[in-house]
Amino acid sequence: MIALAFTLKQGDFELTIDVRLEGGVTSVFGPSGAGKTTVLDAVAGLRRPAAGSITVGNRVVFSSAEQVDLPPHRRHVGYVPQDVALFPHMNVRRNMLYGRRPGQRPDLPVVARILEVESLLDRGVGELSGGQRQRVALARALMSSPEVLLLDEPLAAVDVELRRRILPYLSRVRDEFGTPIIYVTHDRAEVAEFADEVVVLEAGRVVQHASRAEWRDTSGPMSQGAS
Amino acid sequence: MDLTRITLFTLAAAVAATAVMVPPGLFLAWLLARYRFRGRVLLDTLVSLPLVMPPVATGLILLMLFAPRGPIGGVLGRIGIDVVFTWKAVVLAMAVMGLPLFVRTARAGFEQVDRRYESVAATLGAAPLRVFFTISLPLAAPAVIAATVLGFARALGEFGATIMIAGSIPGSTRTLAVAIYSFAETGRDREAGALLIVSAAIAFGALWLSTRLTSRNGLRA
Amino acid sequence: MVPLLLLLATVPQSSSPLTVSAAISLSEALEAVAAAYRVAGGTPVVFNFGGSNALARQIVNGAPVDVFISADEAQMEVVEKADLVRAGTRVPVVANRLVLVVDSRSRVKAVTDLGVAEIRRIAIGDPVAVPAGVYARQYLERINEWTRLQPKMVPVANVRAALTAVQNGSADAAFVYATDARIAPALRVVATITGPQAPRIVYPGAVVRTSRHPQAAAKFLEFLRTPPALAILEKHGFTPVTDTR
Repeated sequence: MIALAFTLKQGDFELTIDVRLEGGVTSVFGPSGAGKTTVLDAVAGLRRPAAGSITVGNRVVFSSAEQVDLPPHRRHVGYVPQDVALFPHMNVRRNMLYGRRPGQRPDLPVVARILEVESLLDRGVGELSGGQRQRVALARALMSSPEVLLLDEPLAAVDVELRRRILPYLSRVRDEFGTPIIYVTHDRAEVAEFADEVVVLEAGRVVQHASRAEWRDTSGPMSQGAS
Repeated sequence: MDLTRITLFTLAAAVAATAVMVPPGLFLAWLLARYRFRGRVLLDTLVSLPLVMPPVATGLILLMLFAPRGPIGGVLGRIGIDVVFTWKAVVLAMAVMGLPLFVRTARAGFEQVDRRYESVAATLGAAPLRVFFTISLPLAAPAVIAATVLGFARALGEFGATIMIAGSIPGSTRTLAVAIYSFAETGRDREAGALLIVSAAIAFGALWLSTRLTSRNGLRA
Repeated sequence: MVPLLLLLATVPQSSSPLTVSAAISLSEALEAVAAAYRVAGGTPVVFNFGGSNALARQIVNGAPVDVFISADEAQMEVVEKADLVRAGTRVPVVANRLVLVVDSRSRVKAVTDLGVAEIRRIAIGDPVAVPAGVYARQYLERINEWTRLQPKMVPVANVRAALTAVQNGSADAAFVYATDARIAPALRVVATITGPQAPRIVYPGAVVRTSRHPQAAAKFLEFLRTPPALAILEKHGFTPVTDTR
């Protein structure tokens, strides 16, 4: 269970959110500029809300009332940013092992198998294709045994054909690891195919929070995402 | 005059000065590159001051601080540490004069490192110190190396501050630069000329190395 | 009085100042003499004070100086050898004595006490060429103390730098002139170097051959050797040139 109840100011922009997520895959959906990435940054501890609280699992990672603000390295989140950000000075294996906490599962071979990056382990980061980079970034995040995965438009920079091939991996991650996923996107098709819950953001406000089925029925003509 | 001894002493002192300037230099470069805080501009200015002030003026300030009656010299004297007119003063002068150059160059390197990498590393569980040593420093390595070479070269050529707090004592504080001055002043032109050639050769080598390191990695310091 | 009147009668009315390079130990004394000279109708004088060796080198390298007053004969020789002394103008100007000074709290009582551990550094003008340092070395060699004390020697650029070193505590003792000790009353004079082994300290002066104002320069140099000027110099601790020490 993930509880997000905070406001965050950034220049003229203000984000207000108050939702409880059941787990599984939650899609944060909306047009660009709505504040979707800001939500992920706040959960990860990269931006500080002005007030409110953030709870992941049974841990309060942020609370202005109780003066709790865990730094990113103590929040146990797995963040895959939009530009992937694989460490250029390390190969795939070392990237994946970076977040590994000693004695914790999962194992490198297991993750590598699920995301089909076994053959890439000794490659340099610059030698990978776009799709491969996505998978390695996912693997890296998973290897740190996060309590929640934060994916920022993981398929935005990828062509349609590749998207169809990567989505199954995301499903596999959900099924094999059971880690809650917060998935930011402006693409309706991805939401339709992958999300269990949908949080719709517009100009910093939550305009809808529903299960996937409800969302499909009631969604209006607002998204401009490419299908 | 013992040319070899003077040269070796100068090189050893410059190496020691470089070792002294790198840890605080890295810290300052990192701080100025990454953090906004009150007094940041003041700190930046203070660090850059020896670069712009006349070296003898910096030397005079150091003398006032480290002379046996000075605030720092007095404290050190009570625990038996003598600074002025010893090799320690040479290393101190070299380090103080080289530090601003080091910080400037290293800072540019850190500023070039994409903060995204550091953020992601943090989310993967790396505490700030680990992020610095495994992500920021390796990615800024070419600039940090260039900064070290530049700091070393500056230390080698240091004169104004050195002569103020270390003097020119043969065998214990006479560096290449200071020796050239002393010999020129006392009419020993031949010896001064020999030292001049050695000094120029070393400086040339250090700068050439630094330029190669920065241009190879596409970084202009 | 008569020489002074003669002087006044013959001094040209040029207003361009004379440039006089003089040993740094003469700083205050010569400024006072120049003031008196001005009052007596002489040309204005601009001074360039420094270690005599540095001054000699400047002249040899072409510095536009009219009069040179050195703290020893050796540095005047340097200028003479470069054929830059105007013929017939080299004269002895004034004499001085060497002293050993220490901080007032020091327990040193004689030159031979300098070997104690409490004395870590002794400041002297560079003994290779700075007159005050050369004099000090000559003396210490003559009393067989040089080898023993040499490791403690801190060579500095000129005699005033040696004085400053003791004043700010970076050196424990210094060999300076008696005239320098007078301007640093906080320091204690351990010994005035006299006797058969003491160096004979005479300051020669000369007109520089390339001077643009040779007559005015010669007049100033002459004035230095008149009773009024000598009185001022003696007030600052210098002694007249004699053959005795």
